[in-house]
Amino acid sequence: MIEFKNVSKTYPGSTKPVVDGLSFEVLDGEICVLVGPSGCGKTTSMRMINRLIEPSSGQILIDGEPNTAMSGTKLRRKIGYAIQQIGLFPHRTIADNIAIVPQLLDWDKSRIKSRIEELLELVGLEPGQYRGRYPAELSGGQQQRVGVARALAADPPIMLMDEPFGAVDPINRSRLQDEFLRIQQEIRKTIVFVTHDIDEAIKMGDRIAILKEGGVLAQYDTPEEILTNPASNFVNDFVGKDRILKRLSLLRVGDMDLDPANGNGEGLPTLSDRLTVRDALSELMGAGVGRGVVQGDGDERRLLTMESIEALTKGARA
Amino acid sequence: MPSAGDPSQEGVVEGGLALLQGLELGEQPTVDWDWISRNFGDEILPALIGHVYLSFISVAIALAIALPVGIFVSRYRKAYPPVTFVTGLLFAIPSLAFFALLVTIPGVGVGPFPVIVALVAYSLLVLIRNVVAGIDSVPAETIDAARGMGLTKRQILFGVEIPLALPVIVAGIRIATVTIIGIATIGAYIAAGGLGVLIFQGISQDFPTKIIVGAALATLLAILADVTLLRFQRLFSPWTRRAGRA
Repeated sequence: MIEFKNVSKTYPGSTKPVVDGLSFEVLDGEICVLVGPSGCGKTTSMRMINRLIEPSSGQILIDGEPNTAMSGTKLRRKIGYAIQQIGLFPHRTIADNIAIVPQLLDWDKSRIKSRIEELLELVGLEPGQYRGRYPAELSGGQQQRVGVARALAADPPIMLMDEPFGAVDPINRSRLQDEFLRIQQEIRKTIVFVTHDIDEAIKMGDRIAILKEGGVLAQYDTPEEILTNPASNFVNDFVGKDRILKRLSLLRVGDMDLDPANGNGEGLPTLSDRLTVRDALSELMGAGVGRGVVQGDGDERRLLTMESIEALTKGARA
Repeated sequence: MPSAGDPSQEGVVEGGLALLQGLELGEQPTVDWDWISRNFGDEILPALIGHVYLSFISVAIALAIALPVGIFVSRYRKAYPPVTFVTGLLFAIPSLAFFALLVTIPGVGVGPFPVIVALVAYSLLVLIRNVVAGIDSVPAETIDAARGMGLTKRQILFGVEIPLALPVIVAGIRIATVTIIGIATIGAYIAAGGLGVLIFQGISQDFPTKIIVGAALATLLAILADVTLLRFQRLFSPWTRRAGRA
């Protein structure tokens, strides 16, 4: 668990804090997304966890211990670090890049070698093909995968990720996000994830900390709660006018409480139960009939109506 | 003087050999091949070795100064303009005047020492500038990632910054070496030895063979040093050749 206790940061020569009295907790195995407009101190907050930046006041506890209990370099070797610009070492091969932290921790060679194979497979790069290449020989998306693999190398319980999928096109970004969520299902790391993109925050976050200019915490909650009950006008504006639609994207139609279609399904569009409610709504509107049949792998057919979607949005009206 | 990084240097070598052969075919033998074979062991070879010694020692000392100064200056930027000013001033002094000035300093006298001092002074500007440019060329995100993964400052300097700066640093060494090999010929004027001895003797004895041998060997030495350094740089920075093959 990571605990921010009244953490502030003011840079020398400035009177305005970039982070102001931040207090919140990141629970084990969760992705906590720090999101907000530029100048909200989200990256500064993240970098104070592994002490790339030292706070002016307040304390950060990791599993109950202040993060100042050991040297900065020792602390950082225990925390995975992935950034938007990736920062792979251009002069080291992919394998050597992944090996950096294990080598700092004096792992033996065979253990490092098998770890490299394991991680390359995890991020979907064929080890035999990519191990010996230099970063410049990889595409942007492949480099970001290596960046994530490198951050995971020594199997740290905590990972810091600063817009780790920011440097690729939207299609690749979406794919990397999905892959990472699948990986996180397996590895269950405690992750602090920085982004400026509220959609990415909603998609990736178990919990979202919305910061506003001057580094003040505007709301810290689950995506569901933030979209349902924004704590202030600032949060409301930041999540956008389509927050009800965004909330529908958190739920899959397969998880909705729907009546069996019985004989009423004739001539209606069939929808996969893997669709988000938002996408299903779009399909229904496109079909122009206002109703559809939800079907999964089995034979069960259930009826999705506009009314059942509308019922979901009750209580989320501003 | 051949410029560093010029891929056409092999062409220069061939041109030089053709010139020597052409001279030999002249009516009066400009190049006395017989003299060359008779005096190779006791005149030409010692001059060549002396030249290599002068140049190599000078570049080595200059590098030993430029590396730490360059690294320091890349960290403490305020020191860069004064360092550039002083080394730039040294670079601007005419070589013969520089040698002569050093000789007048009590206790220095003639010989290799003042020449080495001057050659070191000449190389500093180029070397320091390239060390700083090389370190500046290291991507900021690579340094950030290195810090974020828990490398110490020392590990970042020796494991990231210097290896990545190497191609630019070696480019500086190549320019400095070629320059030094050329200027070192003038060192013979104050009894420092080297290939300049053959050239000066050739002038005073009105014996062109010595001039041509001294000049040709100095040129060949410069080209050889340049090509060797380029090989070295490629060997130690394999990533630069494979870049962009995504």
